[in-house]
Amino acid sequence: MREVAGLRVVDGARLPEALRRVLKPDALIVDEAGRGRRLPRFFYEVDSRLTADETQLAPWFRLSELLETDVREAPQLQGFPRYVPCAVTLVAAALSVFRERVGTRVQVAVNGGYRSPAHELSHAASTHNWGTAANIYRVGDDLLDAQERIDKYATLARQVLPQVWARPWGHTAGFADDHLHLDLGYVTVVPRDAVGEERPGEGAP
Amino acid sequence: MGPIRRASELQPPNGVLRTEVERLVREDGASDVAVAFYDFATETEWSLRGDRWFHAASTVKLAILLALWEAAARGHLSLDAPLHVRNRFISRRDGEPYRLDPARDADSEVYGQLGRAMRLRELAHHMIVTSSNLATNLLLDLLTPAGARDSLQRLGVEGIDLQRGVEDLRAHETGIDNRATAHGLLAVLRAIYEARGVSQEGAREMLDILLQQRFDRGIPSGLPEAVRETAQVANKTGDISTHTHDAGLVLLPERAPYAVVVLTAWPAGGESRQSTVARVSAAVYARLIAGEA
Repeated sequence: MREVAGLRVVDGARLPEALRRVLKPDALIVDEAGRGRRLPRFFYEVDSRLTADETQLAPWFRLSELLETDVREAPQLQGFPRYVPCAVTLVAAALSVFRERVGTRVQVAVNGGYRSPAHELSHAASTHNWGTAANIYRVGDDLLDAQERIDKYATLARQVLPQVWARPWGHTAGFADDHLHLDLGYVTVVPRDAVGEERPGEGAP
Repeated sequence: MGPIRRASELQPPNGVLRTEVERLVREDGASDVAVAFYDFATETEWSLRGDRWFHAASTVKLAILLALWEAAARGHLSLDAPLHVRNRFISRRDGEPYRLDPARDADSEVYGQLGRAMRLRELAHHMIVTSSNLATNLLLDLLTPAGARDSLQRLGVEGIDLQRGVEDLRAHETGIDNRATAHGLLAVLRAIYEARGVSQEGAREMLDILLQQRFDRGIPSGLPEAVRETAQVANKTGDISTHTHDAGLVLLPERAPYAVVVLTAWPAGGESRQSTVARVSAAVYARLIAGEA
């Protein structure tokens, strides 16, 4: 197993243009309520599927569990190297606390961890674009596709993670009816050894 | 790519075959029938009510298979790409979500992958071989009905009216259904065999999937027993309470194949009537192949 500290931290603003176009580092986008939200700028670079599989983000979660997307992700991000916001460690830590509480396996769905702003499911600023959200499809043998089960596990999550937000059950936009969405909000993480955060044209403070 | 050319009609046997098909379906109680075949050996085509529209039932999966490979051939997607397996679809009627009932689906394997990903190629296999409704809706959700129709149009396939995912009951209640004509399904089979808009390798792959078909009580059952031992049939059935269909390519040793489509409608409440489809298949074989002898 590898540690997340072994991953290279990259400044998204310095990535090639083709990647910046889909990752949109530090860009201001609009959330469902019309409020501006600034996307993360610093990412872990994941060089291979093996690295994703072997990197332990938190006691119960490997990086690959929060990185899996499908054909709807931008083509530039379907292969490797891949880039994931550094805040992914926070949601992994929160999920591990949840995992301890429920005492059984917690399955995050494909497209249910980090997905880029260019992913076809990214309509407005979604916390998935920050890497701070998880769509949980299954807890143990329980498929979370009914209100009773979604509400039950949302309550358990709030008991151990007071800061977490759970999407309410429902069928329309802003609700969920076939998974439990948990997120930590629009959190960004700048690792201690990251380069300075000056924007293009900005001098050093 | 222009419309698939209609070949000249078979002359001598067509009246006889028409009479025989009409007699068979009348005896079995069907309320309607359409038949079409195309013989790759003689480049001849024959049909009975070939342009009549029927509820497509699961034969629409043939068209989705072709549209998927056409999209891949255009570089629009990779057949090895993963797709999230999710049992949640949007009704064509009102945009409300609906789910498939696993108990009404012939394939349970795809449901075991909920929340995970399956490759498009694998989903296509399940859609055809075990007629998985879940795999079908996942693929159509990705392609979109309009996108799939565009693919068929580019291939010159007419006679397929692809509107919605399967088991979209609310859409069905308002008359929004997938429909097909015998000519339309025949054009799909020809496009697959002739590798229209796809590579030879792609066409071969579609054919290989169809040859693994597990539902064989229609066209394959109608072939003479001795022929069944050496023939291969690449087919897709369709069965709902009021319609029973089969469409397939019959691959015979030492002879070019033929494509045949049998569409039947029945009074509501009946059981599967694939035995009638088999009898029509037998009649087509007798006129087309046995007649050569």
